Amino acid sequence: MSRKDYKDVLAKINMNKKGQVAIFVIVAIVIVGIILILFLYPKSPLAIPSGDLNPNTYLKSCVEKDLQSNVETLAANAGYSDVNSSNAATIMYKGENIKYLCYTNQFYQTCLVQQPLIKEHFENELSNIFSAKAAQCLQSLKTEFERRGYDVTLNGVNSSVSFNPGDILVSYSAPMTVKKAGNVRTYNGFDVSIGSNMYDLIMISTSIIDFESTLGDSEITSYMQYYPNLNIEKVKLSDGTKIYTVSDVVTKESFRFASRSLSWPPG
Amino acid sequence: MINKKMIFLISAFVLITFMSFNVHADDPNVCCEKTITGFYCQNAPQSQCDTSNGLRVANTACDSTSYCKTGTCFNSLQGTCLSNTPQNVCNNNGGTWSLLSPQSCNLGCCILGDQASFVSLTRCKYLSGQLGLSTNFNKGITDETQCILQVQNQDQGACVYSSDYQTTCKFTTRAECSTGINGTTSKGTFFKDKLCTAPELETNCAWSKQTSCRPGKDGVYFLDTCGNFANVYDSSKIPSGTNLNESGEAVQDYWTNVKTVDESCNPGSSNANSKSCGNCDYLSGSYCRASSVVNVNANYGDYVCADLNCASTSAGPKKHGESWCDYSNTGKPGTGINAVGSKFFKHICENGEEIVEPCADYRQEECIQSSINTSSGSFSQAACRVNRWQDCNSQTNKDDCTNTDVRDCTWLSGIELTSTSSNGGACVPKNAPGLNFWNSTTATSTCSQGSYTCTVTMEKGLLGGETCKSGCECLDSTWKQQRIDVCESLGDCGPKVNWIGDAGYTAGYNLTTK
Repeated sequence: MSRKDYKDVLAKINMNKKGQVAIFVIVAIVIVGIILILFLYPKSPLAIPSGDLNPNTYLKSCVEKDLQSNVETLAANAGYSDVNSSNAATIMYKGENIKYLCYTNQFYQTCLVQQPLIKEHFENELSNIFSAKAAQCLQSLKTEFERRGYDVTLNGVNSSVSFNPGDILVSYSAPMTVKKAGNVRTYNGFDVSIGSNMYDLIMISTSIIDFESTLGDSEITSYMQYYPNLNIEKVKLSDGTKIYTVSDVVTKESFRFASRSLSWPPG
Repeated sequence: MINKKMIFLISAFVLITFMSFNVHADDPNVCCEKTITGFYCQNAPQSQCDTSNGLRVANTACDSTSYCKTGTCFNSLQGTCLSNTPQNVCNNNGGTWSLLSPQSCNLGCCILGDQASFVSLTRCKYLSGQLGLSTNFNKGITDETQCILQVQNQDQGACVYSSDYQTTCKFTTRAECSTGINGTTSKGTFFKDKLCTAPELETNCAWSKQTSCRPGKDGVYFLDTCGNFANVYDSSKIPSGTNLNESGEAVQDYWTNVKTVDESCNPGSSNANSKSCGNCDYLSGSYCRASSVVNVNANYGDYVCADLNCASTSAGPKKHGESWCDYSNTGKPGTGINAVGSKFFKHICENGEEIVEPCADYRQEECIQSSINTSSGSFSQAACRVNRWQDCNSQTNKDDCTNTDVRDCTWLSGIELTSTSSNGGACVPKNAPGLNFWNSTTATSTCSQGSYTCTVTMEKGLLGGETCKSGCECLDSTWKQQRIDVCESLGDCGPKVNWIGDAGYTAGYNLTTK
């Protein structure tokens, strides 16, 4: 091989190497690009066939007003829906029946707890009352999906409401499948959270009941000094009944109940 | 010749009552599992028992039955316990009943990040789960104060860790940083007393103008861009240029190191409604609230120190948490002469509002008040307390009568309670109890204790005229008023006025001379 031929071969080899490097660089850029897309857009629109309709947001806007209204009504009656029947264990105060959560018909005795699981009972009552509206909202969500051209399958609706620190949770157990243009999304259920301090009010009411049943009274000033956002109103009636209204000064929510404990006869 | 002239002076004060609760002499009390009015486990006449749906009735007291025996009801979901709960009420509602308080109701110290709660283990698990924290329960601490001290002594600072290939930060306790952040197993590096915005930590958290209320703290706090709490809101600490505020002062240190309340803006003041300083002080009457709630806007952020004090109450300006007594009825409280229908009231200043808490009707409770001196002036506290008037009339000397450890009575010197006593005074309730005189017969017997017969002996002179020999005090003009005072102090007896000052339709007493 002459000196000139040798140079030609070297030149060809160099050209092939430059091509390989270029290919490697392109492949690397593509890989980095894919990684960046995956990281920067983890929730690609393709992954949600529902497009701009967020089921949780939609359900929240649908249930919120009615839920708050129902909570307000029930909370004024210690979480009970039926307080107007003759056997509802209530007392009439300013034209309204207030539910007793602790009661004794005797003088000089502390009351007996009438409802030890206040929160759970309230949740059951609220779930029963609210189930129709909850179902209606889910049906409305289905209709909205269909109006936007989605094919929706909804298999039964079960809903429940629970109080948690800081919120009220409406939990739907409602398997739903949403399809459009080959994209399918399956939901097992939905959890709709609505801000509320009702949980705290119920737990403080439970504590007041504990004092009532143990000591016959409770010192509301101490509660209010421990919890700055709390307001408690205690009204004593002539038969020894006390009407408690526990409220949150920030959210304006309140929980009301009656107790008759350690009362004295006149004279 | 001694001529005896008997003078019978009888004061009778009659206010008729009936029993407030109907007595069913022919219908003895039984244990109703549920009454027809819906109450569980009440000792009541059989006619008041609900016997539908298999509800039981027992010819014994409820405590003697198995289903109405009272004990502790444990809520296994929330970890709460309620005592004095009937067995059937507890079990039927999903609780777990036991005669004695179960082990699961024992309290301990639950550490929840930088907060602590003195609760049961089950409740601690629930609260920890809700906050996304691992359960940290110390059953060895049996005192709430000690529990609170546990978290006050905790180190706090910046916890730097990696998340999604970024160096980020959480402002938390050393314990959470070393055991697992946000309830996970990932751990970080802890920098005591450093903020997540400290430049040397090189995290992705930067300062911001956002503010928020911080759990367990009184004031308004800055938030960084990662949502962590920084120092107390102070509008002069907002960086304008590089590490300088609008006045050209260095602010980097404020965004690097944790500052105490005393090192923050305007310490020792309530800073109520301040637009520039969020150093609220609960004891001085201010607390962090949303601007929308108090209608005061801060220079930056949506929270301010709300004014909790009461500028104007029925007793003048009062501080948040102050309480005081009120007896705004006619009558003279503390002297035994209280108006019919009157009662005591406790007033409370809370969150800028005056709350009125009535004490029990029939003056079965009285309001007591005291005050303490603080650096910012007097602080009054009041309470409704049981009126211990019941054994006043049986006390025969002043020391026993005025022993405030056991009773609430007052000693009327020189007056005898009955015509047969000679104690040199009468012991009567300091605040006379109210009587259900319109609906009970007990008022008659109570008021009749005030009836008094005074025998005056007169001696006729030889030339006419009479001289008083004994019982002469009964002829004094003040005697009648003294008997009226004794009578009124027994209850709603005598010529009392009602709580709005109106007199009764009759004199309220009879004075007979024989």
